[in-house]
Amino acid sequence: MSTAPISREINVTQLRVFDILKKIGSYILLLLASLLVLFPLFFSLSLAVQGPTVAPNLLPDFGKLDFNVFGDVFAQEKNLGRWIINSFVVSLAVTVGQLVTSSLAAYALATLQFPGKNFFFFIFLGTLMIPWEATIIPNYINVASWGWKDSYQGLVLPFIASGFGIFLLRQYFLTIPKDLYEAAVIDGCGRTRYLWAILLPLSRPALATLAVYAFLNTWNQYYWPLLITDDPTWRTTQVGITAFRSSEISVFNLQMAATIIVMLPTLILLILGQRQLVRGLTAGALKG
Amino acid sequence: MSITPEAQQKTSFSEPGAKTSDGLDKSAVKSGATHTKANSRRWQDLGMALIYMAPALIFFIVFTFMPFFRAIWLSLFVTDAKGETVRFNDVKYYSRILNLDGSGRDEYLKSILTTIQFTFMVVPLGIVVSVALAVLATVKVNLIGVFRTIFTSSIAISVASAGVIWALIYSPNVKLTQWILDLLHSKSTSILNDTATALAAVAFMSVWTGLGFNFIITLAGIQAIPQDLYESGLIDGASGWKSFRYLTLPLLTPTLLFLFIINTISSFQAFTQFNVLIGNEGPDSSTNVFVFSIFKSFWSDNRYGFASAMSVVLFVVLLILTFVQFRLLDRRVHYS
Repeated sequence: MSTAPISREINVTQLRVFDILKKIGSYILLLLASLLVLFPLFFSLSLAVQGPTVAPNLLPDFGKLDFNVFGDVFAQEKNLGRWIINSFVVSLAVTVGQLVTSSLAAYALATLQFPGKNFFFFIFLGTLMIPWEATIIPNYINVASWGWKDSYQGLVLPFIASGFGIFLLRQYFLTIPKDLYEAAVIDGCGRTRYLWAILLPLSRPALATLAVYAFLNTWNQYYWPLLITDDPTWRTTQVGITAFRSSEISVFNLQMAATIIVMLPTLILLILGQRQLVRGLTAGALKG
Repeated sequence: MSITPEAQQKTSFSEPGAKTSDGLDKSAVKSGATHTKANSRRWQDLGMALIYMAPALIFFIVFTFMPFFRAIWLSLFVTDAKGETVRFNDVKYYSRILNLDGSGRDEYLKSILTTIQFTFMVVPLGIVVSVALAVLATVKVNLIGVFRTIFTSSIAISVASAGVIWALIYSPNVKLTQWILDLLHSKSTSILNDTATALAAVAFMSVWTGLGFNFIITLAGIQAIPQDLYESGLIDGASGWKSFRYLTLPLLTPTLLFLFIINTISSFQAFTQFNVLIGNEGPDSSTNVFVFSIFKSFWSDNRYGFASAMSVVLFVVLLILTFVQFRLLDRRVHYS
């Protein structure tokens, strides 16, 4: 186990060879792990380009890859485009809504001094304790009775406020020196203007974190859109893709092509916004 | 579900050191004119604060608090098809769920048991795999960032999309799956229709969907360990496995405890993967986890009162887990 006595005996060249071998070993392990982690994605891509076969192979015949499937799937499922639009509209609206409501509430909690502050703090903390599953039935009854099934407001409004968002932004606002606020107020800067012109621009990293997180979570929602969409045109991508699977149960290449298409936006977002996302998840984690 | 341990010690923005805002401003408690001036300022601020908090408060009241209390209310009533209360039912639904009514029908207790089984399959494996990946991702080589993104990737993939892919991976039509089954001398022809394999198959898929999140948290935990500890460990002859066993692992324990609780909570909430991969209670009800069985009472049977009682039971279970988590985090804060 102990390499110390051995390494004293070997000379510098051997050490360098050892280093290179170690590096190669690391790469091999990393590549193997990547292959395993990405296997489901490779698998779906491989099945998508194999053409309409009932007994797919693990690897496609590289001589005749069928990339038309990504166009064909839009012809086969006329609503796929609409589902993608729905998901974009809903995810963007929820993201903007959470940014607005969270920054306003977090500003009050972090910067202002007012009676009853602890009470409101615990009210917001309490929302984190109530799981979505415990409210879903009355929410469904309400939304149905308001005639909000198959509508953007039904898909968006229940998620506009976020306890996670409020605490994330509050934590960040607390790091911004209080003197800045005092000085701005003395200079005649109103409270709202301070938030808009000074605090929010300084808090871009935290806002970006919340935005990436909110978009990702909303795009990937399944349970709620499943409940409140009856009309196929109102489905979001996640509900649509599972419905599409049931209707094309034996057409593997179309199923996989549609799945890859709906996964692309969040995969791209991950690559672009990984830094923001990691920061958010390690700061305050909320998994829904 | 709550604030992670890292929030206490990570980077600049979670530094609670500055001036903890929760408490009332003690500087305001002064004498004379300053007192009244500060006081009127504080009441003025209350007005503004209420305006700033109003949007969030209104949405929380309409979509979180009122529905929550209504769920508790509904759970005490027999309801009609529209969700209106018909007749007061006392706590009969609760005794029915927990099999305290002497009927001997224990399908709901069994459902809780299935959920626990599922949790035991998902959580330990998920944590072990993510620790292995995180340790691997700390080696200092070029392109390590790319590998880290790859290990994180499953976080961007929804459970629903993953379900569609894994349904095909598990499909008996796929030659690879058949080959693996033959290799394991398994008699089952369809993994998802076999009592022996269905729950484990869903659990395995859930390990994959949770991997990205667990990996990020574990990696952050490892990176928070001071590098000079490893250097002094090296002098004492601790390298490789020894340094992992006696340095990394003990110092990572708080992170792993946090992951353990968070993963347990999300396993108790699992629904999507069951609805997509199985779509019913599964062979011999072997995949009838609790949230799926709530969904069935609510969606297929329209028993709003009964389903509400089930969701209150779920709430209590999750609340206990959350408190355990807070206690564990508290301990950690005192130790460090």
